[in-house]
Amino acid sequence: MSDQTAEPAPAAAATSSQPQVAPAASTNGDAKTTKPAEDAPKKLSPAELKKQKQAEKQARRAQQKGPGGPPKEQGTPKDAQKQSKEPKQGAKNEQARPMPLRRRPSQSNVPIQKEPEKKSKKESRQAGVGLFFGHLYSQPKQQSMNGAGKDVHPAVLSLGLQYSSYAICGSTARMVAMLLSFKAVIESYQTPPGTSLARHLTNHHLSPQIEYLRSCRPLSISMGNAIRWLKDVIIKIDPATPEAEAKRDLLEEIDIFIRERVTAADRLIRDLAATKIEPGDVVLTYASSSIVEQAILRAHEAGTPFSVIVVDSKPLFEGKQLARKLANAGVKVRYYLITGASHAIKDATKVFLGAHAMMSNGRLYSRVGTASVSMLASAQSLPVIVLCQSVKFTEKVALDSIVGNEVAPAEELLSEAERRDLLPLKSMLPSSRAASKNDDKAATAEEEKPDTSDVLKWIAESKNLHHLQVLYDVTPAKYIDMVITEYGGLPPSSVPVVHRLSTSI
Amino acid sequence: MAQSTVIQAPGLSTFLKLLKTTPVDPSVEHLISLLKRRQIRNSRPCAIATTALLLRVVGEFKGRDAAKLVERIRQVGRRLTSAQPREVVVGNIVRRVLGLVREVVDENADGQTPTGSEAPTPVPNDSLHRPTLASSMSTFSPLKHAVAEPMHVGVYDGNMSDSGELSRRPPLLSSHTSYAPPSAGPLVNSLFGLFSQPADTPSATSTPTGAHSPNGKTTFTQQNLERLGEMSRGQTSLDLKGEVMEGIRELQDELETSDKQIAEVALEHIHANEIILTHTASTTVQKFLMYAARKRKFTVVHAETYPHDNRDTHGVLLTGRKRELRQDEDDEDDKWKPLTEAGIQVYVIPDSHVFAIMSRVNKVILATHTVLANGSLVAAAGAHMIAKAAKEHQTPVVVLSGVYKLSPVYPFDIDELIEHGDAGGVVPYEDGDFVDKVDVENPLYDYVPADLVDLYITNLGGHAPSYLYRIVADHYRSEDISL
Repeated sequence: MSDQTAEPAPAAAATSSQPQVAPAASTNGDAKTTKPAEDAPKKLSPAELKKQKQAEKQARRAQQKGPGGPPKEQGTPKDAQKQSKEPKQGAKNEQARPMPLRRRPSQSNVPIQKEPEKKSKKESRQAGVGLFFGHLYSQPKQQSMNGAGKDVHPAVLSLGLQYSSYAICGSTARMVAMLLSFKAVIESYQTPPGTSLARHLTNHHLSPQIEYLRSCRPLSISMGNAIRWLKDVIIKIDPATPEAEAKRDLLEEIDIFIRERVTAADRLIRDLAATKIEPGDVVLTYASSSIVEQAILRAHEAGTPFSVIVVDSKPLFEGKQLARKLANAGVKVRYYLITGASHAIKDATKVFLGAHAMMSNGRLYSRVGTASVSMLASAQSLPVIVLCQSVKFTEKVALDSIVGNEVAPAEELLSEAERRDLLPLKSMLPSSRAASKNDDKAATAEEEKPDTSDVLKWIAESKNLHHLQVLYDVTPAKYIDMVITEYGGLPPSSVPVVHRLSTSI
Repeated sequence: MAQSTVIQAPGLSTFLKLLKTTPVDPSVEHLISLLKRRQIRNSRPCAIATTALLLRVVGEFKGRDAAKLVERIRQVGRRLTSAQPREVVVGNIVRRVLGLVREVVDENADGQTPTGSEAPTPVPNDSLHRPTLASSMSTFSPLKHAVAEPMHVGVYDGNMSDSGELSRRPPLLSSHTSYAPPSAGPLVNSLFGLFSQPADTPSATSTPTGAHSPNGKTTFTQQNLERLGEMSRGQTSLDLKGEVMEGIRELQDELETSDKQIAEVALEHIHANEIILTHTASTTVQKFLMYAARKRKFTVVHAETYPHDNRDTHGVLLTGRKRELRQDEDDEDDKWKPLTEAGIQVYVIPDSHVFAIMSRVNKVILATHTVLANGSLVAAAGAHMIAKAAKEHQTPVVVLSGVYKLSPVYPFDIDELIEHGDAGGVVPYEDGDFVDKVDVENPLYDYVPADLVDLYITNLGGHAPSYLYRIVADHYRSEDISL
C-alpha cells in the first residue's frame, strides 16, 4: 500500500508504460519488483525517479544481451535431455580443480555487473552492496593482464595475478613476494638519461607497478609499510653514486629488510610464542597464519604434548591447509568451521591468532571471523595471543570493520558445489514462476541446460538480493591479551609505541 | 511402503501418507526408524509426525480406561523420545497429549457435580474423591482454597513444574506429589498471582490447550489418576477417545497456525528502515519478516549458516520456500514469495561476518530448534556466536518460536542436547586424507544461554526469557515431565 502512495503520480504515468514494452515475460516480473525497491532507501523527486528507472532498464537490457542470456535459454530445450548428464560431469571436473577455475565465472560476470554502475551512480549505490560497504567499491578488481600498462614489469604482472587469485595470500607472504619482484624490477631498471635514479625510479618506474598491484588486490598494510620504506631508501641514495652501485645497494637493502623484519622477526616471535604453549594445552587458531603455524610446529618439535584446534570458514578455507600441514607434522589437530566455534572454544585453553595488521588503537585487523573467535574466547577467559611482526603495525586506527575493509567478489560466496545444489530450484524462482503462469506449466517443466553460472545470474537478476563478502574484520582491543612481536610480548595498547620505535630508526 | 519409498525419499510426507493405511504398531516402528535415520528432522516435521501418530494411537485405543490410555501414550512416547532424544519436540508433543487426556478426564470429573461452574467445583470434588490423600494435602481448607482460587492457578502451576523438575532426580521422586502442594500455600500466592493472572488470558484465547488451563488447578497425583480411572470406567457417557482426539486435532491446528500467529505481531517489533540480522532458512522467521514487509521497509542481513543450512538458506532467499515443503504444498504458489519479492533488501553474508556487520544491525532475529524451560535455547550452530556478538554490541536479540518448541527440560547437561553431524558436511569426501589425519567436527546445534536473549516471541505473544517457565507450566502437567 505504501508503495503506491509513495510513488509520485506523474512519474508513474510517464514510466509505467515503459516496462511493458520490455518483451520477455520474465522482465515483466522484474519490473514489478523494482518499484518497491526504488522506494526503499529514500524518497526521490519525480525527475530523479524517472532517470533512475530508465537507467535501470538499460542496465537490465544490457544484462540480457550479455553472454549466456536469452539466446542460450531458447536454444537448449531441444537437446536438454541429451545434455542433462554431460554438464554435470563437467561441473564436477570444474569443482575438482581449485581456485583459478572457480574464479572464471566471476571473471566473465564482472563486466556485466560493472555496466549498470557506470550508467548511473545513484543506482550503483542502491543496487550494489552499497548499504554497508558502498564506500569501498571504488574500482573493479583487476582479474587479467589486459588492462595493465606497458610499463609493468613481467614479474609484477604475474605477481598481480597470483594476488587476485589468492595464490599468494597472507600479508607477510604478499609483502615478501612484492619486494622480491621489485628486486627484479630494479635489476632490469635503467635510469633514462637526464634524470637520476633517486628521482626517477620511485615516481616513474615503481609507481605503475604499485598501481597495477593495487588494482589486482588492495595493498596490505605490510605492503604499504614496505613501499614507504623502499621509497625512503631510494630517495636517500646519493645522486652521485654510479647507477650499478646504487642498484646493488638497493637490492642489498631489500634483502636486509626481508631478513631483519620478516625472517629474523619470525624466528623471535616463533620462539617466544612456542614457550607460551605448555604441556596439555589445547591451542585454538583461526584460519591460517604462517607465524602461528611456525610457533606451533616449534613447540611440537620441542616435544611439548599439546593439541590444536583449527577453526576455519568459507570461502577461502585457509585453515584447511594449516590443519593439513600440522597433521602431517604429527600434531593432533581438530577442525571446526566457524559455526561450531562456540563448541571449539569450550575445549581450548589458549587462542593464537595471526594478524593482517595491528591498528594504533590496539585493535587487530585480521581475517574476517577473527573477531567472533576472540570474542568467544575472551568470554571464556581464555588468553588471546596475537602473533604479529612489527612491520604489520600501522598508525591507522579503526573502530569497526566497516570503515576500512577489502571487499571480496560476491560470486565467491557460493562455491561450485553449492551452485549445483541450487540448480533444481530453477522452476521455483519468482521470475520463472511468473512466466509459468502465462505459459503452460509444462513449458517450464522442461529443464534447461543446467549451468552453475545460472545461479549467479539469478542472484544478479534478483533486484533485492545481494551477496556480501569482505575479507577482514576488526577485533576490539579488549579481547586481546597479548601481542607477541619481535620486540617481545606486549599489551595491545603498546602497539602505537612500538610502531613509532620501529619506524623512527 | 516399499513402493512409495522407491518413488520418494522417505520423510515426513511419505510417513503421513502411509500412516493413513498402516496399522498403529508398524507406524510407530516406522516413525522410530525415520527419526533414527534422521529422515524426519527439525522441530516442525517431528512435531507434525508425532501428533499425527498419536492421533492414530488414541484413535485405535480400545477401552475406556484413562489410566491405560495414558500408559499407552506414555509407552509410545518413551520409545519415540529414546529413538531421537535430541528432537525434544517429540517429547513435548507426547507430554501435551498426555496432558490432554488428563484434562479430559478432569473435566468430566468436574462435570459430574451439579454446579458445573468452574471455580468452586474442584474443591468439593477433591475432598470427596480423595480419601487416601497425603496429610499435607488435607491441610488445605476448602474455604481457603476457594478464596485463593482465581489467583491460585498461576503459582500453583509454576510450583508444579519446579517440583516436576525435581522429580527427575531419583531420590525426590516419591516425595514430590506431597511436596509441591504445601509450597503453594495460599499466603505466598497472592502477590505472584496478581501478575500471573492476566497472562493466562492470551493463552486461553490463542492456544487450544491453553483454553482448558483452568483445570490445571486440580492436583493430579497418581492416586488421583487411579481414582479418575475408576470413575471413568463407571461413567458410560464419557467419550474419552473422542475428546482427546479433538484435542489432538486442535494441537495440529496450533502447529499449523503458530507461524502465522507469530508473524502477526511482526509489526509490533519491526520498525521502518531497520537492519535485521537473521540466520538459517527458518519458515517462522521468513513468515515473520514477510508479514512485516507488507507494511514496512527494512533490510535483512542473512547469515547463511554454513555448512548445515546454507543450501536451504540460499534456496529460501531465491525462491521463498524450503525444499522439504516442496512436494506437499504445490498448490500454494502465491503464498511462497521470497522476501526480496516484497521489496526487502536482503544481504547474504557468510557466518564469519557476523561480528563485522553487527555494528550496523538494529535487531537480531533468531530461529530456534528447542526452547528450554529456563529461557535458554538450542538453535542452529552459529547462533551462540550471533547472540554473543549482538550482546557485545548491545543489539537486542529476539527469538521466534512456536509454543510446541518450548520444552520442560532444564539444561543440566548442555552437551547432551547438542547433535553432531557428519564430517562430510565440513570437509568434502574428496579430501579423504584430510579426514584421516584431522578430527573434523560438525556440531549442528548451539546452546544459547538465556542471558543472551532479550525477547521470545511465541504464538502467545512476547515474553521475557525469565517468564518462560510459566508457559511451560501452563502447557505440561508436572507428572508428565519425566516420561
